[in-house]
Amino acid sequence: MIQDYVMQTGVNILLAWSVYIILLSGSLSFANGGFMAIGAYVSAVLTVKFGVPLILAAVLAGGVAFLFGIGVAFPALRTRGLYLILVTVGIAASVRAMLESIDYVGGIQGFSGMSGASPWHVVALVVIVGAALWLLSRSRLQRILDAVREDELVAASMGINVLYLKLACFGAGAFIAAVAGSFYAHYILFVRPDEFGILASVYIVLYVVLGGMNNLWGALVGATIMTLAPELMRGLAQWRPTVFGLLIVVLLLVRPNGLLPFRIPTTGRAKRRAVKP
Amino acid sequence: MIAKSEPLLAIRDLNKQFRGLTALDGVSFDIAQGELLGLIGPNGAGKSVLVNVVSGIYGATAGTVSFLGSDITRLPSYQLARLGIARTFQNIRLFGRMTVLENVLVADKRYLTRPFRSLFAKGAHDDLAAAEDLLERVDLIEKRDALAGTLAYGEARRLEIARALAGGPRLLFLDEPAAGMNEREMQELAAVIRSFRPALDAIVLIEHDVALISELSDRLVVMDSGKVIATGKPVDVFADPRVVEAYLGVEECDD
Ligand SMILES: Nc1ncnc2c1ncn2[C@@H]1O[C@H](COP(=O)(O)OP(=O)(O)OP(=O)(O)O)[C@@H](O)[C@H]1O
Ligand SMILES: [Mg+2]
Repeated sequence: MIQDYVMQTGVNILLAWSVYIILLSGSLSFANGGFMAIGAYVSAVLTVKFGVPLILAAVLAGGVAFLFGIGVAFPALRTRGLYLILVTVGIAASVRAMLESIDYVGGIQGFSGMSGASPWHVVALVVIVGAALWLLSRSRLQRILDAVREDELVAASMGINVLYLKLACFGAGAFIAAVAGSFYAHYILFVRPDEFGILASVYIVLYVVLGGMNNLWGALVGATIMTLAPELMRGLAQWRPTVFGLLIVVLLLVRPNGLLPFRIPTTGRAKRRAVKP
Repeated sequence: MIAKSEPLLAIRDLNKQFRGLTALDGVSFDIAQGELLGLIGPNGAGKSVLVNVVSGIYGATAGTVSFLGSDITRLPSYQLARLGIARTFQNIRLFGRMTVLENVLVADKRYLTRPFRSLFAKGAHDDLAAAEDLLERVDLIEKRDALAGTLAYGEARRLEIARALAGGPRLLFLDEPAAGMNEREMQELAAVIRSFRPALDAIVLIEHDVALISELSDRLVVMDSGKVIATGKPVDVFADPRVVEAYLGVEECDD
């Protein structure tokens, strides 16, 4: 039982970070449920049908998602703002529809036969990805990304190749989501396309929005609370979804910039400051 | 005969249309090495559009821009910046949620041209001394760790300039850096512009204040309705009846 919580929380933290990584360059992605699905299915096929070891399969699945992420982001990034968000929603929907129509992976019925993932895989990944994001947060690259997120036109006029950075972030986010999806699939043992639809993507974005979008801790805290809160509310029986929904609404009203809204300056010395919208 | 030295920037027959509206209509002029060129004209003359086209923010509808002899008309703005063309924005556009110091540091060309290498390169470090020196010169060192979005208007204008200078440009466009400043602030700004002038190949200054632009500029280009209507030394230009009619006639509309 505890293992399930660790697994679920860890996967959700990784997914939240996958959205956060894309958000670093200013794009809000609702495609990450789709990237996760690609990871789950590609790794599952590799382990079940080709006998590839799990960790290698997860990395390969991440690579496929990386290429897919860049491939879809390239045309998608011609759009901006709300339109880009809608395009990412479309990406999530098409991945699901595509998986449902591929008989090789069981179509709408889903795919099974995977095994071998333990919560410790995911804990290790959370530590690795968290450490990488922490190093990034103190780097010049973070500062350059912040400039892109603040005002991409000005960033470009200073010499920053905005499209290149945005594509890199989409690729990296898709990679992390897919690796998380790989371990998820090999823990849950059975996957179906409808698990990874738009709703899954919306939840992942919600973790980041509720936690705070300006630092790596927000996504971690948001994902943890949102994963564990429903479990703590078991006593509420049939009212649980209602109370959970209300909790989200109240959090958004009380802390519209997230639970941890601060941004840490990349110059190191300066103190933390709350970021106002 | 001594060959005339090649202009830093050559603008030829530049045209910019916005669905039916002609913002630039056959604009041609050179920016010479070493000069401080004043660009003036009434509101809506096309000055900012010209800067936006030259800095790659808008594509030109027709015409060419060359930098030291090579055609740069179709280059994207980040490549133009890497060639050394910098600009400020008339409607201040700082990175408001970053600190004053970060706004300057982010412009460091060593890193923004190779964002990923900046992560792993040995000995990669911020040139804090240079950034703080720059902030000193625009009198913002006290505000070093303040968020740029919290600066007062005049301070924000000065940070725009500091950020544009931080990348070490060769050619700098200043789009109304003195807008909204009082007399004293304008004189301080003039001193700042003079002080960094030797470090640049050329400066283009857009400004409505006749006294300030005459004082600072070697040469003026006057625009009206998307066309260049006069060029020359400030004294001559302001004696030109067309300029008096087009430009001085609307002087009271200045912000
Ligand atoms: N993005 C745009 N889309 C449509 N029209 C534009 C755009 N940008 C500028 N214009 C128009 O182009 C013309 C020239 O504008 P521009 O901003 O270059 O004037 P300006 O000389 O800088 O004036 P000011 O002194 O007021 O800054 C104006 O008629 C303006 O409305
Ligand atoms: Mg203007």
